[in-house]
Amino acid sequence: MEPVWQIPRPALFWLLFTEVALAGLHADHLTLWLLGAGALVLGWRVQIYRGVWHYPGPWAKAVLVLMCGGAILASYGRLYGLEPMVALLWSGFILKLLEMQRRRDALILVCLGYFVAVTQCLFSQTPGTALGTLGGVLLVTVVLAALHRRAEAGYWRPVRTAAALLAEAVPLMLILFLVMPRLGSLWTVPQPRQGAIGVSDVLAPGDLSRLGASGEVAFRVKFDGTPPPHNQLYWRGLVLSRFDGRNWSRIEPGLDADAGASRRGGAGPQPWESAVQRLGAPRHYRMILEPSGENWLFALETPVPESPDVTLNDDLTLTRATPVASRWSHSLTSWMDYRAAAGGLGDGRRALETMLPGVANPRTRELAARWRGEVDSDAALVERVLALYNRDYVYSLEAPLLGRDSVDEFLWRTRRGFCEHFAGSFVFIMRAAGVPARVVVGYQGGEYHPDASYLTVHQYDAHAWAEVWLAGRGWVRVDPTAAVAPERIEFSVADLLGGERAFLADSPLSLVRFRGIRWLDRLRLQLDYYDYLWAQWVLGYEYRQERLLTGWLGAWDPWRLGFFILGAGALALLPVLFGQLRLARRPPRPPLERLFERYCRQLARRGVTRAPGEAPRALAERVARERPALGTDAAAISALLEEGLYGGGEPDLADLRQRIRRLG
Amino acid sequence: MSAPQQPVEAAIAAVTSVVLGKERQIRLALACLLARGHLLIEDVPGTGKTTLAQALARVLGLSYGRIQFTSDLLPADIIGISVYQREQGSFEFHPGPVFNQLILADEINRSTPKTQSALLEAMAEGQVSVEGETRALPQPFFVIATQNPGTQYGTFPLPESQLDRFLMRLHLGYPDAESERELLAGTNPRLRLPGLPRVLDDARLAALQARVDKIQATPALIGYVQRLVHHTRQLPDCEHGVSPRGGLALLQGARAWAFMAGRSHVIPEDVQAVFGPVIAHRLHSAAGGEPAIAAAQRVLNAVDIL
Repeated sequence: MEPVWQIPRPALFWLLFTEVALAGLHADHLTLWLLGAGALVLGWRVQIYRGVWHYPGPWAKAVLVLMCGGAILASYGRLYGLEPMVALLWSGFILKLLEMQRRRDALILVCLGYFVAVTQCLFSQTPGTALGTLGGVLLVTVVLAALHRRAEAGYWRPVRTAAALLAEAVPLMLILFLVMPRLGSLWTVPQPRQGAIGVSDVLAPGDLSRLGASGEVAFRVKFDGTPPPHNQLYWRGLVLSRFDGRNWSRIEPGLDADAGASRRGGAGPQPWESAVQRLGAPRHYRMILEPSGENWLFALETPVPESPDVTLNDDLTLTRATPVASRWSHSLTSWMDYRAAAGGLGDGRRALETMLPGVANPRTRELAARWRGEVDSDAALVERVLALYNRDYVYSLEAPLLGRDSVDEFLWRTRRGFCEHFAGSFVFIMRAAGVPARVVVGYQGGEYHPDASYLTVHQYDAHAWAEVWLAGRGWVRVDPTAAVAPERIEFSVADLLGGERAFLADSPLSLVRFRGIRWLDRLRLQLDYYDYLWAQWVLGYEYRQERLLTGWLGAWDPWRLGFFILGAGALALLPVLFGQLRLARRPPRPPLERLFERYCRQLARRGVTRAPGEAPRALAERVARERPALGTDAAAISALLEEGLYGGGEPDLADLRQRIRRLG
Repeated sequence: MSAPQQPVEAAIAAVTSVVLGKERQIRLALACLLARGHLLIEDVPGTGKTTLAQALARVLGLSYGRIQFTSDLLPADIIGISVYQREQGSFEFHPGPVFNQLILADEINRSTPKTQSALLEAMAEGQVSVEGETRALPQPFFVIATQNPGTQYGTFPLPESQLDRFLMRLHLGYPDAESERELLAGTNPRLRLPGLPRVLDDARLAALQARVDKIQATPALIGYVQRLVHHTRQLPDCEHGVSPRGGLALLQGARAWAFMAGRSHVIPEDVQAVFGPVIAHRLHSAAGGEPAIAAAQRVLNAVDIL
């Protein structure tokens, strides 16, 4: 005997285990002290279980709660936001342990536990996360099962129960995944703050070299047909036309008087696009983006997006209506041979693209003016500057820090830099010489998966280059880095700078580090491939769903969909139902009892209904009284039935069946 | 060769000649004895309870002891007492009336529960413990108890534990008009008791009981008995239903009834025949509930034989 409210020992064990496991899942975005507090509370609960310590009093609890709340505020700086909310949830989950005395309290923890387990998906959607979340849900279900078993059932029985429950739920899960329309969130979910990984809209010297320290994936691309060569893969992200003496940034919308209206994906061309000539063969491809927390997208030159969420701006960059907070994919077409604004540049535009505020970097300004005078065309000036870079400069992730006159210092003193140094200084020279020029940031290159023919672009592929407006040719891409280190463009930054200390400094365990080791490299590519498949088929399913379901259902309307979900859901639950029925089914009746029932049905048809307590003999006697014509037959059948049912005899069933049939 | 139940029929005929118009009760009483059960007869005084018990003892040919229960009766009056024998210098046990094969416990509910309980061990285990010594009772051992309805003055109701030890409880009731006229016209039945034939003796009785034990109960019938017993436990206005001992008693009583009907197996009708006497006194209606016998009837009506 045990009190009904008592928490069974295995349930407590699994609950504590689950708390630890969920803390492990969330370790990424919980601060260290929160994990420490969790360990303290767990230890306390174990001591309570051992009978060494007491449950905390109301004051102690109040202090703990205030400490946790205050500390969350202190470490995250705000209470609104995904991380602090999840931290708050998690602290509640862990603190409740100290109040958990009864089964009821444990059940509350189970409900909370499911919630805590799935909040993991708000931060990341990788296969690993999915597995981890599934494991968390399984553990919480184990606790639930253990809470409804006696302690004697042991530690493993609840695991089996929970696994069976989840297994039964899997078909339903799959069906919901396949058919459930992906609704937008019903309320605003605060987005997680991605630790500023990715290209930003303000470029200062040193920004992109920091990205070189990260081995994370930025996006993946699947081309229809043969992909372009490595040195053509310029993934334009942002056009930075504003220079404030140190940083390059975008032009605010109001500043640019010539700006045309953006074109939404799927819509027809805007008037300003008449200045853009798309030449050559179009390239169609699909991009799967990792969450960046920003709303600008990357694409090869002159893209046309297909998704209505995406707009094409008049500087031929793409933006999305909302920031990319989770993995997301879209399709687009690019014409890599193009002419943009070849007919001429508006005056406002030209002013913007040649603007160089302030008086900083006097030496560079003087040099630019002098050189422009010495050459006879803008194109020749470009050639001359590139030749300068090629001769005297070193391409490196480990660029020295620059002071106030950053371009001067770079050009004459340090002469060592990463792509943003070259692109920035190049555009500065061009503008100083009166040539419209701008900085473009994005990614360059990428890594082909040899078997699956898709391209993976990493953060260390981040790149900055320049675009110069040349009369008669329009905007022309010029990559000063290619002049300094052509290998960077032909191959990859990993091949070129893999030996530098700063490369992948933030990803000490990244397998990219071990590119030299053949089998590890294969493993890395294989893992990347699985991740790609996951992104394509599971996360990207949203974009196939409509087409797929239309194929199945014939049309896409709410009624069909609703009935399909109901039907498919019922189908998925059918095996569970059958299992339950099989458990509940009475053992089959012996044939004699079935014959007796048939006999009773026959008699009922002739007006004699058997009462529940009436045995064959009494029944026959009543038949003889009420329907004398049937009396002898009924007596014979009753005698046979009685002999078979109670006398242990084995009457001839066929004969008996015959007699009963004749009765009717 | 005569049918095995023939002596029983003879016994019934003999008893019927004394207790007029009560053949069904006499049959039930004999079935109870054949099922090795103790019998409780309940009715108002003067309906022939004692006469029936005496007639049964006589016809069955068993040694007979009678205990008249009164409010000042003591356990020693039933079990016996050790008396000091001066010549031998030791105590000698003088057995009480309980050391007989058939005990008539007349008006058992007139004595205190303490004295009633003295019969408990004897009835349940066929032995008594006197002064630290266990003494076996003669076999077979029957108790036929009579009691007045509990509403009468000077009665102590039998505790439930003791009621459960009686296999059957019978009500005699007033005789019908014809039997009563016959009774009034004839001699006092008491006077005719010594003239009754001894139809059986203990050895033959034991043989009959052994035959009853062998009466077949098929799974279908056992299922019926089980459902009946189970149903009594779910009656809304009964405090508790029939105990497993009650279920065994029901089946054994039905076996005896089947044997007396000349069958080698039990049929549902046998169970139904003994159901009331075996079950009714084991159902304890909640206050204000219907009489136990009505509840028993409802169970019979409700439970299907299949």
